Amino acid sequence: MRARPWVTGAGFLALVAVVVTISAFTFLDMHRDRPIYAGPGVTRVGKLSAYFPSLAGTGLDTDVYYLEGEAPGATVLVLGGTHPNEPGGFLAAVVLVENAVVQRGRLIVIPRANRSGFTCTDPGEGQPQVYHIPTPGGPREFTFGSRATNPVHQWPDPVVYVNRLGQQLTGSEVRNLNRSYPGSPTGYPTERLGHAIMELIRIEKPALSIDLHEASPEYPVINAIVAHPRALELAVKAAMFLELEGMDIAVEMSPATLRGLSHREWGDHTDTLALLLEAPNPSQGRLRGRTDTHLVLTGQDKFYTQAGTRNRLYVKFTERGWPLEERVGRHLQTLKVLIETYSAANRATPVVVAGFPGLVELRKNGIGAYLRPPS
Amino acid sequence: MTNLFFPEAWVFIAMVGTFLLTVFLLRQPVALALLAGSIMGAAVAGLGFPLRHLVEGAFVYLDTILIIACAMLFMRGIQASGLLETVAHHIARSLRNWPTVLLVAMMVFAMTAGMATGSSTASVLTTGAIAAQVFVTMGLDKARVGALIAIAGLLGMIAPPVNIPVMIIGGGVDMPYEGFYLPLLVLTVPTAVLAALWIGWRGIRRLGEGSNLPPSVHREYGLRLYFPLLLFVGVVVAERAFPTGFPSLGLPIAFLAAYAISPLCGRLFNPVKTAVQAIHDALPILGILVGVGTFIQVMTLTGARGMIVEAFAGLPRSLFYGSIAVSMPLFGAVSAFGSASILGVPFLLNLLGAGVIVTASSLSLFASLGDLVPPTALAGLFAAQVVGEKNYLRILARCGVPALLIAGVAVASLVGAPTLERVLTRSPALSRGLFLSGLGLGLTLLVLGLEWLKRALTRKEEP
Ligand SMILES: [Zn+2]
Repeated sequence: MRARPWVTGAGFLALVAVVVTISAFTFLDMHRDRPIYAGPGVTRVGKLSAYFPSLAGTGLDTDVYYLEGEAPGATVLVLGGTHPNEPGGFLAAVVLVENAVVQRGRLIVIPRANRSGFTCTDPGEGQPQVYHIPTPGGPREFTFGSRATNPVHQWPDPVVYVNRLGQQLTGSEVRNLNRSYPGSPTGYPTERLGHAIMELIRIEKPALSIDLHEASPEYPVINAIVAHPRALELAVKAAMFLELEGMDIAVEMSPATLRGLSHREWGDHTDTLALLLEAPNPSQGRLRGRTDTHLVLTGQDKFYTQAGTRNRLYVKFTERGWPLEERVGRHLQTLKVLIETYSAANRATPVVVAGFPGLVELRKNGIGAYLRPPS
Repeated sequence: MTNLFFPEAWVFIAMVGTFLLTVFLLRQPVALALLAGSIMGAAVAGLGFPLRHLVEGAFVYLDTILIIACAMLFMRGIQASGLLETVAHHIARSLRNWPTVLLVAMMVFAMTAGMATGSSTASVLTTGAIAAQVFVTMGLDKARVGALIAIAGLLGMIAPPVNIPVMIIGGGVDMPYEGFYLPLLVLTVPTAVLAALWIGWRGIRRLGEGSNLPPSVHREYGLRLYFPLLLFVGVVVAERAFPTGFPSLGLPIAFLAAYAISPLCGRLFNPVKTAVQAIHDALPILGILVGVGTFIQVMTLTGARGMIVEAFAGLPRSLFYGSIAVSMPLFGAVSAFGSASILGVPFLLNLLGAGVIVTASSLSLFASLGDLVPPTALAGLFAAQVVGEKNYLRILARCGVPALLIAGVAVASLVGAPTLERVLTRSPALSRGLFLSGLGLGLTLLVLGLEWLKRALTRKEEP
């Protein structure tokens, strides 16, 4: 005997209601900011909306950490979490906030540049919602986010996204912070976020602005510094020093045809020297196998290893993988050398930052050694 | 090497096996079978019952689902108001003595919505639906009409100005969407014309004096009748033309707005009843998209997706083109856009070098073929809806040769990409001019020649 249609229908609806209610808790829990603790060098914590008030109260407003030195000098801006599915860039910024002490000049750090992206994952990508970094005082939890702004904060996407500068992109890129620059005070929420960051750069006048990213191992621009033409000399010098230290890194000039990216528009629309750093992140790649926190933390993947032995990647890939501490270490080491190289060339306005680890320390001690214990 | 693909291969086999069993043995809907396959895949991979991933996967194609649901409403709305038949009436009447011209013109017309929206479904359900009326009037059977508008939708999706698969592939390798119009035109328009002639030429006939034309209600409602179509076109065009000034409403709202005014602009109909019917008709495919989303999510989660990408992208160079030609359409069955993103990007990365614009265009053509691959076969399914054909496989059968033609064009352009790109970009303005005038001249000659042949043949048959 077949059930009546309305019985089946009501049954299905009830089932859906139960499923939605149960799973809602895990989705809603991602909206909770996982704490970032102000380290000894932090002199002030502000909000990005201070530079563009209409951002206040939206899901896109985010914390800005100021680390001010006693002695005067230039300002360096560091962005993490432009793409929240690139944990290496985000964690490098967190380690900076929790450890760095500025002696001369000033450091401004935005660890969650696209905070909205930290509140969801990309459907279809199967990535974990959270991962844990062990510290001596217990594990620290962070969300593994989406590449783009949460649709809850900005939706629907247009068919084609036309950036303010005329670049045509597929519609979903309208929620990608790193395609939104120079932003717009009246545009899409993500464009407003881009505008707010531009405003910060215009008002605080950082000499150096660095956007921390990661890329999939099959992507050509990787283990690289992407530099605006005005920042190219600095990048090349820094890369040379890094090579001498035994860390190989490429320098790419920001292509003029690709609009909307930080390393292009920050440099074109302000006086800052704009740079973007890439490290290899298999957990965002298309060749990756099982997608779990083990992959996020160790960067080990057998399909990438296979592709690596066949020379189909733009980066060396062995069974060792690309552990998160290696990627965070590369970012911090590059940052250190960039700041030193800049200061050596600008003796009147140097920036001196101490207290944060480089590649050797991270390799040796792991990330957890440089994170505050959870409280 | 051999155990590189395990245990992921077992997971994939379990997923596909459960899917097939549920469909063919338990006779459950495809959507539920996909869900069953996903649950089984996660279990076999030792992940238990990952509720969060199953729910999240259901949202992968949310935007597509909304577009399809609203496009169905729009199509049923302009059908009920009489607009569809009236437009078809006028076009058919003006070209009734020139069936071959009409065939080709309607094929290109059917593509236009796909060109503007980048969606084959939107194309089939709007301009395709109008063209279908004309094709039926010209004496073509349901299967041929369905095949014509399905192929038109597919090529319309690839034709400029909006080609989403190329934008997705380009986004993955940081290639701006520039310089694509001409290569995409060269790859699609001649192909569409040949496909139209292959499917329709033998079946069409000249239209008689008015008697067999679809009815026009133009006299009763006047200009008001066309408002829904104008509203839809207006919203889409305004959004594209003034990206910074016009609010981005998205296709679903554009379709819904047009549907909302339809009952007031022509024959009166009950908008609620029609909407319920339209959604009822679209429900199987909407369900499939939900199921496919969870399937993809679990494949990615368990590593089965990576295994498949590695299996195809890792083939030696000699088999590489073949693996593209097979895998992209097959994966496109899930979604042409998904195929572009998951396979198109690694493929293009392996092919970077000369002719990258043409290469990306060819890859998008391969991805588009997925719209003809069951079980989703979006283009075929909606073409079946439009022409009222119960079994969409009959439409797909009619698409066989044109699909091979498209694959042939894609392979040829992929192999000859460096040369083709050099020719097309040597002097863009000149080659565009040459292409357009050559296309125009060739088309005119071809169509007139066929027209003459047709007349000569039919005259002989008449006693
Ligand atoms: Zn990034």
